[in-house]
Amino acid sequence: MDVQLKRGLLDVCVLAAIKNEDSYGYRIIKDMKPYLEMSESTLYTILKRLELAGMLTVRTAEHGGRLRKYYHITPLGLARIEEFREEWKQIESIFRFITRED
Amino acid sequence: MGKAEFLEVLRRKLTGLPQAEIEERLAFYNEMIDDRIEDGLTEAEAVAEVGPVEDVVNQIMAEIPLTALVRERVRPKRSLRVWEIVLLVLGSPIWLSLLIAAFAVGLSLYIVLWSVVVSLWAVAVSLAAGVFACLFEVFVYQKAGNLGGAVFAGGAALACAGLAILMFFVCLAATKGVARLTKKMILGIKSWFVGKEAA
Repeated sequence: MDVQLKRGLLDVCVLAAIKNEDSYGYRIIKDMKPYLEMSESTLYTILKRLELAGMLTVRTAEHGGRLRKYYHITPLGLARIEEFREEWKQIESIFRFITRED
Repeated sequence: MGKAEFLEVLRRKLTGLPQAEIEERLAFYNEMIDDRIEDGLTEAEAVAEVGPVEDVVNQIMAEIPLTALVRERVRPKRSLRVWEIVLLVLGSPIWLSLLIAAFAVGLSLYIVLWSVVVSLWAVAVSLAAGVFACLFEVFVYQKAGNLGGAVFAGGAALACAGLAILMFFVCLAATKGVARLTKKMILGIKSWFVGKEAA
């Protein structure tokens, strides 16, 4: 996929992965794998950026004798997903314009 | 490669970054590798999936701002002794001016590079303007009944147009080239700060 296009989608994708329940790093990558390939470093950057923007919070919990970081979506994050849904309608109409047959 | 080895190499290659950042990233990768092992992969497979250390380091270097690296480099790692502070202050006319001069030279060289690009664009624009000037001449010659002159001016207009279009592509290539060179330079400067042990 075009790099620029992908970049815009990754943030929202990560938010969607933690929308319904808290998730952790590797699981987010796995959940997204059928749709988008993401490397660890990319995910790290995105998680940091979303945390700074107040769209998710982090908590550390014990799991199998080691520590694991869980990410939790905030109302701001949910609002971003809603915003994306609106943006998508606009993208759809642009798509129709680009691919029109005449 | 084993997990411990991977993390060690990563830690070594990231020296120069703020300590807190290094620890955070290492913890992140440690967690990711452990999660994969829990999922059923062997340690070697897990490390392989996370990627070659070089790629990881390059990605981190690309996104960390240069200012953070400079700040970390300049930060005193231990409290300075009195004589060191005195020396720094007394010597500041020397080292500070040298630093400013070096930075100024570097900056001027960079500006010169861009001015070459700007001159190329100026040539392209003048050629484009030349097209209109020649077309005007065609009109003038035609009005004066000088057909030969009109044809000549028309040819000149075409030549200007052709050269202008050619110049346009040259300018685009030059602009893109300098932009890419800038990126490479910044990456080069960053790597000068990173990965040095016991700096």
